[in-house]
Amino acid sequence: MVRGVLRFFQTSIVGVAAVASAAAEEPVSFQRQIQPILAENCYACHGPDPEHRQADLRLDSEEGLRTVVQPGNGEASELLRRVASSDPDHRMPPGDPALALTPAQVGLLRLWMDQGARWDEHWSFVPITRPPIPTSAPFLRQIRHPIDRFVQANLWDRHRGVCAPEAARSTLIRRVTLDLTGLPPEPHHVDAFVRDPAPDAYERLVDRLLAAPAFGERVAWDWLDAARYADSNGYQDDNDRTMWPWRDWAVHVINQNLPYDQFTCWQLAGDLLPNATLEQRLATGFCRNHMINGEGGRIAEENRVDYIMDITETVGTVWLGLTMNCCRCHDHKFDPLTQQDYYQLFAFFNQTPVDGRGRDPQTAPVLEVPDEDLERELQAAQLALAALGDATDSSTSTSTSTSNSASTSTSSSAKESLQKRVEQLRQRIPRVMVMADGHDRVTYVLDRGQYNRTGRAVTADVPAQFPRLPKGASPNRLALAGWITDPANPLTARVVVNRVWQSLFGTGLVKTVEDFGIQGERPEQLLLLDWLAKEFIDHQWDYKHLVRLIVTSHTYRQSSRGGDRMAYVDDPENRRLARGPRYRLPAWMIRDQALAVSGLLVHRTGGAPVRGYQPPGVWEEATFGLRPYDRDVGASLYRRSLYTFWRRIIAPTMFFDNAARQVCTVRTVRTNTPLHALLTLNDVTFVEAARELAAGTLASTDGSDRDRINAIYRRVCARDATEREAEILQHALLRTRQHYTRDPQAAQQLVSVGDSVPSTPQSSMELASWTNLCLTVLNCDEALTKE
Amino acid sequence: MSVVRDAQLRLTRRTLFGASSFGIGGAALASLLGADQQRLAARTTDSPPELPHQAPRAKRVIYMFQNGGPTHVDLFDYKPRLGDLHGQLLPDSFAQGKRFSTMTGNAQGKLLLAPVEPFAQHGQSGAWVSAFLPYTAAIADQLCFVKSLHTDAVNHAPAISLLLSGAQIPGRPTLGAWLNYGLGSESEELPSFVVMTSVSKGTTCGQIFYEFYWGSGFLPSQFQGVRFRGSGDPVLYVSNPPGIDRSLRRAWLNDLAELNADKAREYHDPETMARVAQYEMAFRMQASVPELTDISDEPSHILDMYGPQVREPGTYAHNCLLARRLVERGVRFVQVMHAGWDQHLSVTTELYTQCRDTDQPSAALVRDLQQRGLLEDTLVIWGGEFGRTPFLQGKMEDRPKWGRDHHPYGFTMWLAGGGIRAGQSYGSTDELAFNVAENPVHVHDLQATLLHLLGIDHKKLTYRFQGRQFRLTDVHGQVVQGLLI
Repeated sequence: MVRGVLRFFQTSIVGVAAVASAAAEEPVSFQRQIQPILAENCYACHGPDPEHRQADLRLDSEEGLRTVVQPGNGEASELLRRVASSDPDHRMPPGDPALALTPAQVGLLRLWMDQGARWDEHWSFVPITRPPIPTSAPFLRQIRHPIDRFVQANLWDRHRGVCAPEAARSTLIRRVTLDLTGLPPEPHHVDAFVRDPAPDAYERLVDRLLAAPAFGERVAWDWLDAARYADSNGYQDDNDRTMWPWRDWAVHVINQNLPYDQFTCWQLAGDLLPNATLEQRLATGFCRNHMINGEGGRIAEENRVDYIMDITETVGTVWLGLTMNCCRCHDHKFDPLTQQDYYQLFAFFNQTPVDGRGRDPQTAPVLEVPDEDLERELQAAQLALAALGDATDSSTSTSTSTSNSASTSTSSSAKESLQKRVEQLRQRIPRVMVMADGHDRVTYVLDRGQYNRTGRAVTADVPAQFPRLPKGASPNRLALAGWITDPANPLTARVVVNRVWQSLFGTGLVKTVEDFGIQGERPEQLLLLDWLAKEFIDHQWDYKHLVRLIVTSHTYRQSSRGGDRMAYVDDPENRRLARGPRYRLPAWMIRDQALAVSGLLVHRTGGAPVRGYQPPGVWEEATFGLRPYDRDVGASLYRRSLYTFWRRIIAPTMFFDNAARQVCTVRTVRTNTPLHALLTLNDVTFVEAARELAAGTLASTDGSDRDRINAIYRRVCARDATEREAEILQHALLRTRQHYTRDPQAAQQLVSVGDSVPSTPQSSMELASWTNLCLTVLNCDEALTKE
Repeated sequence: MSVVRDAQLRLTRRTLFGASSFGIGGAALASLLGADQQRLAARTTDSPPELPHQAPRAKRVIYMFQNGGPTHVDLFDYKPRLGDLHGQLLPDSFAQGKRFSTMTGNAQGKLLLAPVEPFAQHGQSGAWVSAFLPYTAAIADQLCFVKSLHTDAVNHAPAISLLLSGAQIPGRPTLGAWLNYGLGSESEELPSFVVMTSVSKGTTCGQIFYEFYWGSGFLPSQFQGVRFRGSGDPVLYVSNPPGIDRSLRRAWLNDLAELNADKAREYHDPETMARVAQYEMAFRMQASVPELTDISDEPSHILDMYGPQVREPGTYAHNCLLARRLVERGVRFVQVMHAGWDQHLSVTTELYTQCRDTDQPSAALVRDLQQRGLLEDTLVIWGGEFGRTPFLQGKMEDRPKWGRDHHPYGFTMWLAGGGIRAGQSYGSTDELAFNVAENPVHVHDLQATLLHLLGIDHKKLTYRFQGRQFRLTDVHGQVVQGLLI
């Protein structure tokens, strides 16, 4: 495969004409062109699943395919005779004529066989090797590093396309700051960067952002979605849980740049490491983030099995990009994964004391994780108690002094109250569900995934398709983690590199981030993916290195203006990477941006989740009043979205298009609906932010309307307003001032929205007018978009 | 690339680059983005192949979902034999090897419980309905009782999920989301999939309305149901902030549209104009939603039909009336959910409240649709996730605490309207209302039939996810011809 593409690169040097004529003889790719046809149309009956296999024929293995294919002679092949047959009794696939292959598909099959019927292993299952960097890309001027060589070689050879020029500096700093911190750049940072003449100005900017505490918060959001993190158990009772110390751990180690292999190992098996630290044990909370069912009428063992299935499937998606869930009930229909593979993976997680019982929100095993404040208080109370104990002891032992029974009783009641306080403080220590082994359960293959229909016994092992566990390793979670992060594992690095790409470009190099199997998308830019994956492994799984590498490429730094009017039409998802990423920000980032530009954002990190603004009655209506929403006041209203309390059965109302945090989610679809518009136009958060942005602007600039409009644009869009924008807004401002002059009461109402009190000497008429303007700017396409 | 996407882009380009369209104001722009454009903008590149697959008999659906599992034994499925055997042991042959909720565990040794209210035949069709439901009984000839439903799940959430999404485990798109995805919207000012929920006052019901009951699963989230709430704003954030009135908002939206049009001219990203269209739709919703929920224009004889609770927002009766107003305005799928049918120990108590609150409004909705000529092409569904056991849960001597457990092996729903053969009872259970005896209708068969009535071949409405073409009926389901006209 690698050789094939390289040959293609070499031809491209020769020139356009040569390539064009060569294209006719371009070798048909088994993986890209043939396997999808077979998988879609044949594998259900002639695939990996033996139970439904017909005629004992499998077309998913080279051996099986050879029995119906004649290399070099498509016409003579049984496969072709069957799919091209006009006889309904003979034609494959059988049944409905609508299911027949298209002439184009038949033609491709014929050509592939005529060319020798070359078979390739599935791309994501073969070992990762570092592909040579293409040297032939035609536009060397815009190549900053290897990523660009891969992208531009592909762009030119396949699409005759060229990359876009670099984005304007103001656009670039907004893009990269949002991507790496989830927050917009401060105006002074924009000014400094725009004016910085140094050749490494951008690289230094990236380094500053990677070192910012907000980096961990930004990356953690996606990790929380994948880890199905929430602050309640889900299901009917939906009791509150305290997994947030795990969330804080994740933010912390992302900022510390804990290498991804250790990040993985700690979360899957931190408790099994020799002399495991509190942090390492806390990390295993990842596994326990699944929902817990407290519904009456449920069978505990059935719950328990559900939980282990959830962990198994989450690990499959997050680290391996495999749809393990398909194998719960039967062998996989497309991938070489069996039901036995599923339950062998399941077995790794099947040894914990979790019993599936109980409505207690934190079910054993749990770990006490006091935060610093609490620990300090607890220590103080314990010290005081100890001191009091000493004092009481010494006073009783010194019998020479006059009797002081009164003072003794005082100190014993003080002792009691201190003991009570220590106990109370202990109660407040967050308890986090973590992993522990100890049980020696036998794991069975479960017939159709039913908890009580046990089949044959299996022992913990990794799927048979892949490299084996090291000889002699005891098959526990630690061994599994080691296997997942072994450089020889073909999936782990590809899967995570692809997820990072998705977080920066909006779509993965493999669009099906959750599925690297046969039915997943075969990446057009496989060489780039492999190069990045190998680079990541060779750099000791250094996450920040990977991010830095990608965002410093020209590919990332390109302008997102399409080269021509048709750019977005021809390539709506920017798969060819002929321009920079441009797409609507995630809802949580839109909120954080509004808080940041208004100056309301409270930067405190970590701690118990907060309850921000939410329309009254939402929780109550969903839970029949069982879970009243007591919203916070003060600083908690303005914390980053990451810290918002996530109730599983009724998610926060303002985070549209987000993972529901019920099961592992690594990809969400971006939509564009009127409900989003209503939210960002009318929600208290945005109205209050608009007013504070207005108040801040009025207070800090005493220039003209034009200057103030510029200041607002600099905060929100990192640039000055254009003449035309300013003209439109100035006109609107005049109109709005007249409106509020006629209706001062309305102005007063608008400026009173939210808990915060505006501090500006301006009249409420003036402030209300500017609030409208700021709300409009916050709702501009550009403000809602990473451009 | 789909045809729809193509068309959308052509429209967008025409809007943006048409000879004289530069410099247009917001209002003009908005009107250029006509209804078609709105609809197209709401679709995605993943829109399904041409639909409908065949001529539809129904254009819209009202699903009156009765959460908790209404007791078919006491409401619809009359079995004199159960009366004869009242208090006697359930014969082993009925429940052998069958799973019940852990409250029952093994059904062995359970005592049979006769229906608590008398039954009578009604209408020309002679349908059996008990005295619990006099209003439903009165429209029996408009209804088709399906008495042979069966499902796979014994607990609420999985069973509701199976009925609405085709799978017990949450995360698949629900019926309304599939229709929304497949057929698009007919309304320019309201969401096409609306959900309303209620529970009878004073019931001990603990059933939660999970969001996945109207979720879009792996379909894009624009297809999920929009929940209309019983208090506060009917749709979240639909009201302008205090101090911004409709005229002011309109004027600023015009400015916003101009700013965005400039952006679109600069970047040629179709999402920008789609956003303008969505903001315009949002603005229309701000008028249409309050208009919809303001029932002061309903004459009193209509209100009276729905019963005394109709004037109270958040009640089932109120929601039934809103359901009619919604379908009148082109909403495709209305899911009215009412909880509280989980009579584990209350068939002699709370079941009366439950029926009183739902019987009259349910029947009124059918009659109201009929008198407006809407019943013809509106499919109406009434039913819950399973039935209840013909045997007793509780103690025979403690009548006030009589109850019935969950029962998935045979239960009743009724259908009416578009394409349904009314005035019949279809299928049956055995002499104890326990297992299906003839013409079984599995949940997936029901789903296949509903889609069929809407002009959709359930095998062809698919969406690719995790490398597989998923559909509502999974790999099952057969259209039940006997239910169709």
